[in-house]
Amino acid sequence: MRRFFDRFKYNGLFVKMFIVMVVSIASVAVITTWTTINTSERVFLETFSITNSKVVEQIKSNMDAYNYAIVIASNNVLQSGSIRGFLTEGDGNSLSQMRAYYNMSQQIKRIHSGLDAYDVSIIVNGVNGRSFATDRTIWPISDKALRSHPITDRTLSEPRKLHYLYDDANVSGNPDVAPTIVASKALLDRTTGKVYGSMYFPIREQEFKRFYESFTSLGNDVAVMSGTGMILSSNRSEWIGQPSEQLLNYAKEIEKKGLPYMDAEMMDKSHVILSTYLQSLDLYVVNVIDKEAAIGQLTDTDAIVLTVMIIVAAALIIVFLISRRLTKSLTRLVKQISTISKYEFDHEVTVGGSYETRQLAQAFNSMLAELQVYVRELLETQKGQRNAELEALQQQINPHFLYNTLASVKFMVQQGSKEKAAETINALISLLQNAIGNVSATITLSQELINLKNYVFINHVRYGERIKMNYFVSPDCMGYHVPKLIIQPFIENAFFHGFNQKSEGNIYFMASKDGDSLVCEVADNGDGFDMGGVDGLPLPQTSRRQLFAGIGVKNVHDRIKLLYGEQYGVTIASEPGEGTRVKIRLPLIKG
Amino acid sequence: MKKMLGLLLACALVLGACSSNGGTNSAGEGGNGGDGGDASKITIWAWDPNFNIKAMNLAKETYAADHPDVEIEIIENAQNDIVQKLNTGLSSGTTKGLPNIVLIEDYRAQSFLQAYPDMFHPLTDSFKAEDFAEYKLGPTSVGDTRYGLPFDSGVTGLYVRTDYLEQAGYTVDDMQDITWDQYIEIGKAVKEKTGKDWLSLDPNDLGILRVMIQSAGSWYLKEDGKTADLADNAALKEAFETYKKMMDANIVKIHSDWSQYVANYNSGDAASVPTGNWFTPSITAAADQAGKWAIVPLPKLTNNADSVHASSLGGSSWYVLNVPGKEAAAEFLGATLGSNVDLYQKLVTDIGAIGTYKPASEGEAYKAPNEFFGGQVIVQDFAKWTAEIPNVNYGMHTYAIEDILVVEMQNYLNGKAIDQVLADAQKQADSQIK
Repeated sequence: MRRFFDRFKYNGLFVKMFIVMVVSIASVAVITTWTTINTSERVFLETFSITNSKVVEQIKSNMDAYNYAIVIASNNVLQSGSIRGFLTEGDGNSLSQMRAYYNMSQQIKRIHSGLDAYDVSIIVNGVNGRSFATDRTIWPISDKALRSHPITDRTLSEPRKLHYLYDDANVSGNPDVAPTIVASKALLDRTTGKVYGSMYFPIREQEFKRFYESFTSLGNDVAVMSGTGMILSSNRSEWIGQPSEQLLNYAKEIEKKGLPYMDAEMMDKSHVILSTYLQSLDLYVVNVIDKEAAIGQLTDTDAIVLTVMIIVAAALIIVFLISRRLTKSLTRLVKQISTISKYEFDHEVTVGGSYETRQLAQAFNSMLAELQVYVRELLETQKGQRNAELEALQQQINPHFLYNTLASVKFMVQQGSKEKAAETINALISLLQNAIGNVSATITLSQELINLKNYVFINHVRYGERIKMNYFVSPDCMGYHVPKLIIQPFIENAFFHGFNQKSEGNIYFMASKDGDSLVCEVADNGDGFDMGGVDGLPLPQTSRRQLFAGIGVKNVHDRIKLLYGEQYGVTIASEPGEGTRVKIRLPLIKG
Repeated sequence: MKKMLGLLLACALVLGACSSNGGTNSAGEGGNGGDGGDASKITIWAWDPNFNIKAMNLAKETYAADHPDVEIEIIENAQNDIVQKLNTGLSSGTTKGLPNIVLIEDYRAQSFLQAYPDMFHPLTDSFKAEDFAEYKLGPTSVGDTRYGLPFDSGVTGLYVRTDYLEQAGYTVDDMQDITWDQYIEIGKAVKEKTGKDWLSLDPNDLGILRVMIQSAGSWYLKEDGKTADLADNAALKEAFETYKKMMDANIVKIHSDWSQYVANYNSGDAASVPTGNWFTPSITAAADQAGKWAIVPLPKLTNNADSVHASSLGGSSWYVLNVPGKEAAAEFLGATLGSNVDLYQKLVTDIGAIGTYKPASEGEAYKAPNEFFGGQVIVQDFAKWTAEIPNVNYGMHTYAIEDILVVEMQNYLNGKAIDQVLADAQKQADSQIK
């Protein structure tokens, strides 16, 4: 788990980048697909509507041609005197009947020749009970039935109008009647205003269909609808003869608003409806396009989705590989940098990977190098500064010390103990000689021992010999060098603070080699103090007048660390009433 | 890296383009109907629902019992329509929309067979020619190749209303073996007594003339079937005169189409029908007239020694067109009307249709008396007259000549001299048919 998070931490960039890529590719694919399908659907519908409005126009013109042929024929029938005679006169004798029928047949044949292009017959019925038909099989209805047929009623109720009406087995009650469209008109004598018969131009719905059938296809249906909403003809046989108010409303709306087409919901499906109204026929030609069926043929959604998915998958794999390559070197770089800043400040990172990461690594390395140089300089400066500080302190041999020491010598001289005075003066000279020299220089431990002894001698001269000084120095340590005046401050501490309550005691100086370091120890059996459980240097402030030089214990510790490193320095242990023990750890320095 | 991305983009675009092309092909298709007949469906065109259509329906039922997988569709069309459609279809060379089987009147058969020799499927092997009446084979064959399966007999008789006869003081016996002049006389009496017309005629259909001249062994054309025989045709001249006598006697009701024709008899407005036996179902359709009809031999021409009391009118035969499914159609015809005796019995019993299949005449149905016609054994009577029908060659131009005669008949009725009428008709016919 943790490793996973670590991985995630280092690959964060890659993961983010990849997720962003996945999301964008997927959304681009989805949006593009959706837009494409949508646009193609729209374009398809637009073009479909345009072509279909042409188709509807074509159907209209077909129907107009048909209508025109019917109108011409009906006018010819109306204008023919012999037809009027045939339909109005009495029976007469056989010969006159024969002539009437013959003339009638000639007339009708001539008129019918104008309708030869269509499978339509002409039936005329007269008030005298005579009738004439060119072909009764198209609309097999007897004369008697025809006289009381609803179509006849409609025709006679509006005698000046040419009607297009529908008949089938249901309407006429005659099982032999197939769906038929009958154009009918009353025969009206213009001069007297009397109706002398009616004429019918029946055409089988099957034949009528030919006006538009070639334009239809699956989902692209045509219906011819009367002004009352009755579907007279359609390529969808189940619609024929059915009233459809819904379709009529759509057709009327299209007509009224002059729409090129409209979308409509019919039979729970979405359709596009085109319509045109044939004024002269009082018929609507309605083109109903089932969107689903029509567009279903256009777009193979499954194939598109599959293709898009394959493309997306391929793109993702490529993006994965590329971004992986891009981020891998960066990740490695980041990993190295993060460990370097923690542990190995002086290590350089490996330069590799892409141009960007290479530049980055190089910049980082040069920055690191510069930083190291800078730090080194800083250290040097600090060391110099500290040395200067120490030197300054060292130069300040406490005037009180000198004054007190010289005062002691004066007393000795006055008392006449010349020997001792000289000895004291000698110790002071030696001490000063060492102290005033180069502060950074080291001296051998044996030399330092002489300095210590001189200092102790002076103190004994001044304060008496109630505190005894003992030296235990391993002979092999004598040659090692130590910084000047490094032990003196601890002896001084022991003299002036270690025996405030106790009146006498001992101070021990010990030096030995411990591994590769030199350990010097200053121990006393004086008062000691409470460390408060903390290792450190809680040293009391010494009265200035007692001090030999300005260098304190704290200074010594800092100085050692600065000069030799963290592992060296001063540690102090103390117990009240038991004494204090100071341990100074130094490197072994030869010469 | 940039190159790779470009390539990738290009790939994606190309793929995208390909995929969007995939769906568009299918849109334009559909909407085309099937071509011609298909193998499992047999389409049949015929006219006259009371007779031909009914007969074919019986054949279909018989056949369907043994061949449930074959779909048979029978379409009724007016005869003129069939002729027109066949001519249009066959001359255009496309068989689209044409039926597998079509009924053609014997008068017209040769004109089709000779005009479109490749468009008909030979039926020589589908039936035995010697089983059928000989006079039917001529019109339905070219040389020795049989193209038509002979169907109904065109043998004629005179249907007459016995009740009207009786009212006029005549009996059926007075109608036996009479001449057309006697026929007109009786008609006058009937008209006088009952007010009913004697017969119904269509000015555009001179079938009665054809019946008259064939009874005398004459036809519109000479023996060769190609030369018009009008001007010096004594039989035709007498037929014309007889026709005018009927008109002058004022005993003719006029009709303009088949349904009016039938209606004139069914309504009782006309009393006799000199026509082919296929009219029987139309007569029997008026059930209320049962027992009031009899069938007597056809009158013969008064002044023509060759004229007999038998003739033929409007028989027809079945033809198989050379369109896909012709084998199934030929098999259907062969299995039903070509050999099925029981089917012919049924045709007689159910429809009154008399076929020309000789073995069928041995069956019981052919000997059964018909109650509608007062117990008359009409099928046997017709069979007897069939044997007497003079054989004539209908040739190829029967109807072309008839169209001329229809016009000339009007001229004649309007007072033009008969010799002039026929001479003019001859002139026109000679110039039209070559």
